[in-house]
Amino acid sequence: MNSVVVLVLGLAVAYFGYRLYAQRIDRKVIQSDPNKATPAKMYMDGVEFMPTSRNVLFGYQFKSIAGAGPILGPIIALQWGWLPALVWILLGTLFIGWVQDYASAMVAMRKDGASMGGLSHRLISPRARIILLAFIYFYLLLIAGAFGNVVVSTAIGLKGSPMAWLFLTGAGLLAGQMIYRWRKDIILTTVVTVILALIGIWVGTVAPSNKIIGAALAEERWLWAIAAFVFCYFAAVLPIWRFALPINYVASYVVFLGLFFGLIGVVILHPSFTLPAYSAFTIKIGPIWPIMFVTVACGAISGWHSLVSSSGTARQLENERDALPVGGGVMFVEMMLALFALIIAGTLFAAPSQYAEAIAKGPGGVFAAGVSKFLGALGLPAEVGRSYGSVMMIFLAITIMQLVIRFMRIATSELLSDVSPVFRNAHVGTFIASLLGIFLVMTGWWQYLWILFGGANQLMASMALMIVTAWLMSEGRPASWSLWPTLFMFVTTVAALLYTSYSLLDKVFKGAVKGEAAAGNTVIGVIGFFLVLASFVLAYEGLKAFGRYRTMKMEPAAAKA
Amino acid sequence: MAQKIQAGFPSAFGETRRRKTWRKYAMPEEKKERRGGFFQAVKEFVYGVAAHDSARFALKTRASMEHLFILITMGDMLGVPILPPYYSLRLLPYVVPQISTWKRRMLREKDLTDALA
Repeated sequence: MNSVVVLVLGLAVAYFGYRLYAQRIDRKVIQSDPNKATPAKMYMDGVEFMPTSRNVLFGYQFKSIAGAGPILGPIIALQWGWLPALVWILLGTLFIGWVQDYASAMVAMRKDGASMGGLSHRLISPRARIILLAFIYFYLLLIAGAFGNVVVSTAIGLKGSPMAWLFLTGAGLLAGQMIYRWRKDIILTTVVTVILALIGIWVGTVAPSNKIIGAALAEERWLWAIAAFVFCYFAAVLPIWRFALPINYVASYVVFLGLFFGLIGVVILHPSFTLPAYSAFTIKIGPIWPIMFVTVACGAISGWHSLVSSSGTARQLENERDALPVGGGVMFVEMMLALFALIIAGTLFAAPSQYAEAIAKGPGGVFAAGVSKFLGALGLPAEVGRSYGSVMMIFLAITIMQLVIRFMRIATSELLSDVSPVFRNAHVGTFIASLLGIFLVMTGWWQYLWILFGGANQLMASMALMIVTAWLMSEGRPASWSLWPTLFMFVTTVAALLYTSYSLLDKVFKGAVKGEAAAGNTVIGVIGFFLVLASFVLAYEGLKAFGRYRTMKMEPAAAKA
Repeated sequence: MAQKIQAGFPSAFGETRRRKTWRKYAMPEEKKERRGGFFQAVKEFVYGVAAHDSARFALKTRASMEHLFILITMGDMLGVPILPPYYSLRLLPYVVPQISTWKRRMLREKDLTDALA
């Protein structure tokens, strides 16, 4: 199939899904009211609750949800063939993805801007909130491990990327200094720092890491794992304006310029898929159901989006009608990003064996090679294009990682400060989070880590959908459009987590893995089982809440009779 | 837009006259707005992608400093008396504009997921 057909198919699903399904739900079921005061207006505090233009929020939501997930997921899922991944990306977004993103924002907006923790407390039970927060901590740890692995494998596989990463960090630090200390013009700052970052990409091609620190050291996983987590450490403990924000600012231009021109390259070259449409039902990492569904990750549905929609976007929407284009619309755009990634990897290799060889080294290299090919259509030299793709990959992963480590620092302080005051110290919380992350990166096989991350991510999505369903039932609105996705996602993700955790622990008990790998398998497997256990308790609490709301609905009817 | 312009005309013009006059004056402006609308939307989108998060975090950092300052000086209002009332009264006029939003932020229910976005 030609790649342009896939893009057109994606656009058609996005257009008709949005116009015929999403808008109908918004108008008929949710009954969004443009005249209703939103939390942004009611509780405006000039900080978190602030009415903001929907165009700005569209960009904000897109930037917050479009990380490495929607790009790497489809690239890894190609192992089952491109057709199953394509079908799941399109149908998952159409029936589940946008529902979760939009409805999370809507529920939070109708409940005074409450976050997911607050919503679970109000709509499900007080116990649900505590379990959800514990669930989120381990879910974030898996993000740190999976994305950390991507950074490490990219830094090893593409030797030009560390130098480009270093330049981008320097450019970000300079941007922070220019904006906040020297009070320079924002346009001047942007031009200078983005050019500096682009120069770094070129320098990476002439000064690869193996020439600077030696071939042996450049291949060391621990070196790049420590580099990634030291980077996140600074992001977590330094004032946010000095490190994390300005680096994200410069990186966002580099990443989105790459995506924009890459997409133009796809249209110019419009290659056909060279990999098979379907390879096998079961591959090394597991069967197509449930493993492929969680491997695609954010390209179809992601629990991370519900956290952004509720805690961030819902508090800034100035009009209820904006929730659909911002929450739902951005999910359809993310679907297009996932299709772009699918095209990149699916059309890149002449034979399946070449793809198998490349994916064994990590998905970052596949993405970088694809970016290089499509930017090459616009005249960029292949080596520079590969360096560009690798730095895009590193920054898509590490910008989420630094946020995750910062959050885990706060969580450690909140959860453990009663045990000992030492946990209140920012360095202690960050150190613990970084150590756990490094442990996962060094001991876990990246494919299993990715599946567990995808499983936890989509299980989080099913929890968010359960909260949405509880809210719909409490309001007496039709709930089937959210209940069926909840059930499907719950069953699929629990099956995926159980399958993978069992496989990991089985290898340990049978002695198939030794040393570091055995330790990694054990920890990852136990985390997987813990997430399943937590989700069962949450599901039990959710079912009790559903029963409560059904009784409430029947009582007035009985009273009328 | 249409409502605002219509409201500006005297009611004696009548419905037909009002509509004609509205068209005469409003159309060029509307066209202009539509033309500028696309570029404005792109500008806002780029701002949303690149800088909105930075602006929010900068505001959050400033707000946390203000929280601390107002808590020390005006803690009485939340039942936390720290500074003698004399000094609080001297500072009160400077703090008045922020008191309502400060109280709202301090007393709002929060949990860990607030730190994510």
